Parts: sequence; structure tokens; C-alpha cells
Amino acid sequence: MAKEESTGYLRAQKPSDFWGTVKRLLVYMAKRSWALFAVVFFASGSAIISAAKPGLLGRATTIIFDGFLEGTALREAGEQIDVHPIDFGAIAQIARIFIVLLVVQAIFNYVQNYLTAIVAQRTVYELRRDLKEKLGNLPIQYFDTHSVGDVMSRAVNDMEQIANTLQRSLAEFIMAVMTFIAVLIAMLTVDVTMSFIVFASAGLSAAFIAFIAPRSQRKFAEQQRLVGKLNDQVEEVYSGHTVVRTYNRELAEVETLEEESNRLYDASWKAQFYSNLMMPAVNFARDLGVFGITLYGGFGVINGTVPLGNVQAFIQFVNRFSQPVRQVANLANNIQITIAAVERVFETLDQPEMEEIVSNVEEKENTPYIIEFEHVEFGYNSSEELLMTDFNLQVEAGEMVAIVGPTGAGKSTLINLLERFYDVSGGSIRYNGKDIRDMDRRELRKHFSMVLQDTWLFNGTIWDNIAYGYEGASDEEILEVAKAAYVDDFVRRLPKGYDTILNEEGTNISQGQKQLITIARAFLADPEILILDEATSSVDTRTEVQIQKAMEVVLEGRTSFVVAHRLSTIRDADKIIVMDEGDVMETGTHDELLEADGFYAVLHNAQFMGAEDLDIEDSDYTFGTT
Amino acid sequence: MKRVIKLLDTKRMFWLVLFIVIQTVALLAIPTVSANIVDYGVALGDIDYIIRFGGVMILIALIGFGAAIANVYFAATESQGVGTSLRKKLFDKIMFFSSEEINEFGTSTLITRTTSDVLQVQQVLMFSLRLLILNPLRILIAAVLAFTRNPRLSLIFIVIIPILILFIAIVLRKVTPLFRSLQVKTDELNRVFREGLTGIRVIRAFNREDYEEARFDEVNEDYKDTSILSRMYMATLNPIMILLASATSIMIIWFGGQLVSMDQMQVGNLIAFTSYSINILMGIMSIAVIITMLPRAQVAVERIYEILDAEESIVDPEEPIEIAKDAGEVTLEFEDVCFRYPGAEKLALKDISFSMKAGEKLAIIGGTGAGKSSLVQLILRLYDIESGSIKINGVDIREMSQSYLRRLIGFATQDALLFSGTIRENLTYGNANASDDELWEALEIAQGYDFVSNLPNQLDSRVEQGGSNFSGGQRQRLSIARTLVTEADILVFDDSFSALDFQTDARLRAALGPVTTDKLVMIIAQRINTVADADQILVLDNGRLVGQGNHEELKENNEVYREIMESQMKGDDI
Repeated sequence: MAKEESTGYLRAQKPSDFWGTVKRLLVYMAKRSWALFAVVFFASGSAIISAAKPGLLGRATTIIFDGFLEGTALREAGEQIDVHPIDFGAIAQIARIFIVLLVVQAIFNYVQNYLTAIVAQRTVYELRRDLKEKLGNLPIQYFDTHSVGDVMSRAVNDMEQIANTLQRSLAEFIMAVMTFIAVLIAMLTVDVTMSFIVFASAGLSAAFIAFIAPRSQRKFAEQQRLVGKLNDQVEEVYSGHTVVRTYNRELAEVETLEEESNRLYDASWKAQFYSNLMMPAVNFARDLGVFGITLYGGFGVINGTVPLGNVQAFIQFVNRFSQPVRQVANLANNIQITIAAVERVFETLDQPEMEEIVSNVEEKENTPYIIEFEHVEFGYNSSEELLMTDFNLQVEAGEMVAIVGPTGAGKSTLINLLERFYDVSGGSIRYNGKDIRDMDRRELRKHFSMVLQDTWLFNGTIWDNIAYGYEGASDEEILEVAKAAYVDDFVRRLPKGYDTILNEEGTNISQGQKQLITIARAFLADPEILILDEATSSVDTRTEVQIQKAMEVVLEGRTSFVVAHRLSTIRDADKIIVMDEGDVMETGTHDELLEADGFYAVLHNAQFMGAEDLDIEDSDYTFGTT
Repeated sequence: MKRVIKLLDTKRMFWLVLFIVIQTVALLAIPTVSANIVDYGVALGDIDYIIRFGGVMILIALIGFGAAIANVYFAATESQGVGTSLRKKLFDKIMFFSSEEINEFGTSTLITRTTSDVLQVQQVLMFSLRLLILNPLRILIAAVLAFTRNPRLSLIFIVIIPILILFIAIVLRKVTPLFRSLQVKTDELNRVFREGLTGIRVIRAFNREDYEEARFDEVNEDYKDTSILSRMYMATLNPIMILLASATSIMIIWFGGQLVSMDQMQVGNLIAFTSYSINILMGIMSIAVIITMLPRAQVAVERIYEILDAEESIVDPEEPIEIAKDAGEVTLEFEDVCFRYPGAEKLALKDISFSMKAGEKLAIIGGTGAGKSSLVQLILRLYDIESGSIKINGVDIREMSQSYLRRLIGFATQDALLFSGTIRENLTYGNANASDDELWEALEIAQGYDFVSNLPNQLDSRVEQGGSNFSGGQRQRLSIARTLVTEADILVFDDSFSALDFQTDARLRAALGPVTTDKLVMIIAQRINTVADADQILVLDNGRLVGQGNHEELKENNEVYREIMESQMKGDDI
């Protein structure tokens, strides 16, 4: 009764290569093949015992009935008896066997359940671990082309589906098949004719299922689709809340959402209706079976051709025979959905990983430049046109390079190339004369540190988040950078100080304070070269001043690439790179570029309005981030 | 959970319960009739009896099946219906939230609560509605039947049932905290995984891949161990059930057999008793399983009611006033307005005073965080002010209904947000009755005529969610046109010209002049060019009004304004 399957909220999809995926999954589980075999063994044992029990109880009933009839016959013959001559010795014998069997069955059942849990959980544990490891080896491109939601749904929804199915369905499936076979044999050995009545009843069950199951699945799929649609609509309306309210469209939007919600209702109640109908329908078929057995058995007992115990046994057989039919029908759909989930996980595991490349570019000895771009060509997509065609830049140690350009100009492209999140399509980027492709990525990244606008902090204490910048930093060092980056200042005022946990929504500290923490983190890393993205988000003035000062401290004496929004930063830069539409338009100093009266001059004149440090909100033509 | 139960329709619940009762009675009548057939038909060799009661059995089975279909129908429609009405309540509530409540909850949690949490409630309700009524009933009827058939044999149940309940209670006590911690660990697992995705660049830049993997492995392993542990306990339920059910059957045979031998019971009752025992034990088990599902639904219900119980920070007055309004006579007045965002230490706006009347154009200029957008939001009453007053035609806006106030104002938002649908649907968003001619006219003023008329489907062109298939400049022009279509008396453009080039900007402002002679126009901008021709310019800095006047005046004697100007205009004058 309790195991009614509901697959309502899963992504109902069909696998494209069912058996191939099953095979791969089995390989995954092969490590635990001993446990798998044990599961099959114990499940089979349990099923066989379960099938044998009605026969035993039936025999006991027959003994009682025979004794009763004998007694009745004796009375009719005129004998005076107080007690019917029932053979309790034989019943005790049966009871002993029965008790032994049921203890064995209970133990088998427990072991099988427990082993299944171990197999299922360990397999999914490994799948998760491998997926995580895989993501560590995928190029950044994968993350740029797959949404977080997409990857998360593979790691969460699909994994959960796999775990649940392995946990429940694996054993259930084995049990169902074994029960089916064992009951079949048990029935046939007891009475062939009555077996056919059971078959008829099971056939009727199957017919009901064949009618209901596809309808239920269709409605569930529709429900799924409508949930998705409602989700999209709700998201749109909630995000556009201000517009909805200022245009007085609350009621109209409620009405639209309600219509969608009502459509969902229509699909969801039908889905629930059909899926919950399965059980009563199967029960009805079973009742008809019981009716057939009682009728046929009744005549048989009267004629003396069928012992009463057999009738009782068959009433139980009807029950046990229809169960596996229903289970397998439910499982078939569930297994299909699960294999589709497994397929999605494998698809990610099969993505090409980052490659180690050799540039074949000769190393320059004694170059004065710490970073050098030489005829760099680059495009994100090899099939599309190149964004960057011939970019050259030389940076000496200690210089500050400002990157400016409108939103979408491709300023992050430079960061991507410097950190080797992407590799160049042509030309060469050198670090101290050596092509960076010839360096190990980790080795290269040791020389860099970055502070991005998107202040990524993990769910942990402020202390741990700062310590993230450099493994093995001492407490004094951490405290020192925290002070230098003005983190210490506000942390002291928090009730838990450095032990304050940064929660997911990050509501406990402000955006500006988060930025200070990322600066401290980068500072702790003490890199040769710093990549820095200036803040544009609105933070309160005091914090803004602190951020500015903290950045100055970190920048001091360091080679740096700054995605700049402030006029002061740009004026102070040793070199300015002006970007638009992915390509570098101009390079030079502030004065040189104004003199040239090119793209930079246009941008500068159009945008810089503040005395100094006014930045520009997100419009199309700003010095914003991409 | 109680409050959800109150949502159930009494009449439909009556039918639901009735059909469940019928189904349960039928469920237990079958073995009863079956036993009678054995006792009175088979044992006495009465073939007629067998046939007659065989027919009764079929009839009962049919009735049971019919009642089951009916109660499944009522349970399905009721459970899904309650969910649907919860969704409606949520829509009604959330749609009328002020910006304060929206920010407090956060859009993403509002979405999950409206969708997934409601689905969770629906699912559990579907189970509980039927099974929490059916199972206790089934236990009760089976027990009564057993007792009336043979009180002495029923003593077996008095031994078995407490043992079963005791076992279940022990297992649930062990397992419930494990399940709860599993829920926490699932969240943790997801969080760490998500962090690994969102922070991929930072992780790689700081060479912390190994650390991340170790961190994930720790939670992954912890999760696995806890699940296996919880399964270890849960796995005992099945064997307990097997042991007790089988023990009951064998006891029925043994003791029942003795009763039969002493003529104190009939043989058919042995079969009936076995059936009753299975019904009782399965019923108890079923209830136990549902009990484990309830806490999750409980959490979902709490999250939903947290929204439904939220106090609205901005409410309409009991007797809203409408202003005496003649075209061309609208005035707007700010008097010593102070405002701070909820929970903020600092005032976002301090002592702002100004006034304007129809036909005038007011511009607001200032840096990021100066308070320009805040000021505009106050006119729309998206937030309430802390002190001072905002009046339209001399009436405080807090004395009007929000919908009336917002009908007076046409607002072009900073983000130029469009909805998915067609261009026409977007333009008529504030005025459903606008004709195509009016739409084209608005587009012409908003400088959007050319690009819209060049689209193959013109006004029927598709707009993707958020307007993502249009450029920033196009979105702004559509948003401006949408504002113009509203026929409001006060037009507010919150930095709506920022993505337009200088020429378009100038043409738009020129076209705006003739159609706004009887309206108030308020423009927030960053560019001097955009504001220079305004009748009145407000210069905001850090939440305070540091300059007020027209371009010429401010140019002469306002420091901040002059600095802004100088940085933007290289030499040439306008």
C-alpha cells in the first residue's frame, strides 16, 4: 500500500541508448558485484519462502478441516465426541517449519535491504565524486556554455533519481521477478486448474494497468510541462514586479497566472487520479480471482476433489501473483526515467577535458617585459569569426594597465586569456618570455591573483574566506591583510567577528563589505600580477572610499590589469587598452588616446561626467564590465 | 497543516469520506463473505449457498471498486484544488507586496514557494486524504469484525498490535532525526556543488581545486554515511512486518484450530481472521509511512504561510481621496521629504523640497547612489517616506489609493524591462484600449517607429522574456513608448535615455515637447545634454539636494553641476 510510485516531478524523458547506458551503470556497480550477487541471492530466498508460506498454512488448514469433517461424520454416525479429532501433532510440525522459514525470511529481507542501501548509496557517492572531479578538469568554456541550473539539475535531480531507483526499485524488481516465478511454481504444484483462475485474474490486472499506466504517464508528462511553464511565468512576473505595480496590472497578472495554474490543476488532478486508480483496479481483479477460487474450490471441496487448505492457499496466491505484475508495470516507467538521468550524468562525464598543449613558440631570454601579447588571435568559438585578430601589448613589471570599453566589449576576454581560462587561437602570450601555454596552468596562476566584481565567497566564516587566498597562511598574515583591506574594521563590529558565517544570500554583510573581503583574499595571495575589476555596484560612500583605498594598497608596486570605471584610475594607468566588440581598438596613455581623438575620446567625452569618481550604471555605452 | 485542512471543501470532503467508508467496508466484506461461503456452503455442501453468495461477492467487489474510483476522484481534485487555491492566495498576496517585502523575501524564494512548496503540499495531501482516513477505518472495522466473530481468538491482536506499534515507534524515533539531518546534508551537498560552479574562475585562479574536491568529498561522504545509517534502521520495518504477520497467521491456525476442535469456532473463520490480521497490520504500517512524510509537508506549509501572513508595509487608506483633476492643472510638490531604506542606518534622501506644475519639465542629475531612483520610487509609493510629504494637486499621495496614484503616473523603469509576448502586448500594458494608431504615434515620439516598422511582423513581433531579443537602446525606446501610451498626467523617465545616442536622445526630447504641454515630465539622467533644456534641474549628491534651478543658473553658481558639465563637454557649448 505504501509503495505507490509517484514520478510526477521528474523529468520524464526517454533514454536514447537504454542498454548501453545500463551496461555502463553496471560497470560502475561492478566494484560491488559481491554485494549485488548477495542482494539477488537474499531477495530470491526471501521471495521463494514468501511463495511457499501459503501452501504450508493451507496444509494446516486442511488438517483442521479434515479433522472437523471427520468429527462431524463421527457425530452423524452417532458417536459422542467432545473434541474433533484434529491432528495437532502434524500442525505443530508445520508450525515449526513455518517459524524457521519466517525467521530466515526476515533475516534475508533485512540483509537484502541493508545491502541494497550500501550498493545504492556508494554507487551514487562515486558518481557524484566523479562528476565533481570531472568538473575540475573541464575547460572554463564548458561552464560558460552550460548554465548553473543545467549542471545542478544533473548533480542534484538526476542523482537523486538514480539513488532512489537503485535503493527501492533494484531490490523491488528482483523481488517481483523472483516472487512471480516462485509463486508460479508453487501454484502449479498445488493445483493446476486453480492456477489458471489466478492467471486470468493477473491477466485482468495487466489489462487494467495497460489501460491506466499510459494515461497516467501522459498526464504526468503534461503536468511536468505545465509546472515548467508556470515557473517561467511566475519568474517573469515576480521579477517585473515594479513594472506590474506601477502600471496597475496586478489583477491582470494574477488572472493570467491563475489561468495557467488552473490548466496545471486540470493536468495534475488527472495525473493523480489515474496513478491512484492503479491500486483499486488491481484489487478488483484480485477480488474477481478470489471469487473464482472460492466458487471453483467450493465445488471441489464438496466433491472431495480439492482440499480446503488449497482454496485458502490460492486466495493468498491471487494476492501475491497480482502484486509483482503491478510492481513491474510501475518500475518499467521509473527505470526508463532513471536511465535517462544516468545518461545525462554520463554525458557530462564524457565531455572533453582540458588539454595540455605545447606552443612550439621559442622562449625569449632576458626580455624586459613580464607580460607580452604577440599577434594574439582569439575567438571563443572555433567555428565563428575571430574576435581578436592581431593584438600586441608589452607590460613591464610594476606597470598598471587599464582596460576600458562599453559593456559587452570583451574586457573579460583579456582576463580569460591571462589566467588561461581560454587559450589563444593564434599568436602568443608570454610570461617573462615564456609562452604561457608551455606552463602548467596551476604554476601560471600562482603568479596571478584576481578581484572580480562578482564577489564569489563560499559559505563559511569570514576568516576562512580570506584564508582561501593562500593555503598555509599564518594567523598573523591573515589578520594583517584583513587590516590592510579594511575588513578588520567592520568585522570587529559583527557579533561573531571573524567567525561570522557568510550565508548564501549574503544578507548578513553588505555588497561593499564582500568586496573588501575579496580584496583581502587577493592580497593574502600576494601575487606578482593582479587582475582587478573596479566596483560599479552601488555601495555606501564610506565603504566605497575604503574599497578604493584598499585597492590602492594592494596595487602598490604590483603589475596590474584593472578593468577600470574611474577616471582617476584610468588617468593614472601606464597603459590603457580600449576594447569594443571583443577586439582591442586602441592602446596608449590617457593623453595619447585623447590626442588621437579616436574611440576612446568619444567614449570619454560621452561618459565621464563626474568630477572624478562617478561611475556609470548599466547602459549600453559605459565603461562597465562585460 | 491545520490551516491547510481548513481550506478543504466540507461538502466534497463528505463525499470523499463516504466513498472511503464504502470502499473499506467492501474491502473487509469480501473475506467475511468468503468465510461464510466456506462455513455454510462448503462445509455443509450447500451449492446454492455458494452460488448465491458468490454473486454477493462480485457485487461487493464492484461496489468497492466503484467507491474507490469515486474517492480517488475526490481526493485528487481536492488535494490539487487546495494547492491551486494556495497558489491563487500567493499570487494575490505577492502581487500586492511593496518593493520592501519583495526585497525582504527575495524573488527566488518567492518563486520556489509558489511552485515547488505548493506541489509538495499537494502531493502529501493526496496521500494523506485517502490513506489517513482509509487505514484507521480499516483497522477499526477489521478489529470489530474479528471481535464479533470470535472474541477469544481476537486476543491474538491484543498481543501483536502493541508489539508492532512499539517496534515502529522505536524505528521512527531513531530515524526521524536522521531524516532531518539528511535534509540538512542534502542542502549542504547542493550548496557546496553550486559554489564549485559559480566560483569556478576564482577557484582556478587561486589554485584551490584540490581543496574544493576535498571539501565536496567530505560532505558527499557524510551524506552517504548518514543515508546508509538511516536505511539500516528503515530496513528493519519490513522484516518486523513479515515476522509479526506470519506469527499472527500461525497463531490463528494453532489457537483457531483448537477452538474449531472444541466446536467454539467455525473453520471459515480461520480464513477470515487471517485476512483481518493482514488488514490490521498493513493499516498500521501504512499510517507509519505517511507519518514519516508529514514533516516535509509541514515545512512547505510553514513557508507558504510565512508569505500569506506577511504584513504589508504599504496599505491603502480606508477612504481614499481622488484629486480634482482638470487637464493641464496637475501639480507635484515635495516638502522636506526624508527617506531611508528599511533597516538602513543612513537616510537615502534628506530634506528634499521642490514643486512643479503641468507643462514643466524637471530633470534630476547626480552620481550613482545620489538618490535619484529612490526619489522617483517615492512618487510612485513603492516605498513610504519617513517624514515630510509628497502631494499631487495638494493631496498627500498617502491619502490616495495606490492604483489611483499609479494611474496618474507613467513610469519608464531604469532597466527597461519588457515582458514576453508581442510588441503590441507590451505597449498596451498600461492602457489596454489603445489603438494601433496610438501605438505607432507613441513609437514615433519614442524614436522606435523605424525599427519596429522594419520588423517583419511589426507590432506583432515576438518579445522574448526580459526583451532579450532587442538591444538595450531598442528596449529603452519600447519602454518609453509604453509609458507614453498610458495617458498619465505625470511622466517619469528613470534614466531611460542612457542607451540612446546623442542624436536619438535629442530627437526624442524634441518630439516629447508638443505632446506633454499639459503633463508633468520628470527625467533622470546622467548626461548634461539630456537635462540642459529642462525648466528645472535638481542636482542630487549623497541623498541631498545640492542644486536647483535651470541650466543657465546652475552653470553660473553650482559647483557640482559645473564639474559634471566640464567633464562632459570638451570645449564646445550646446
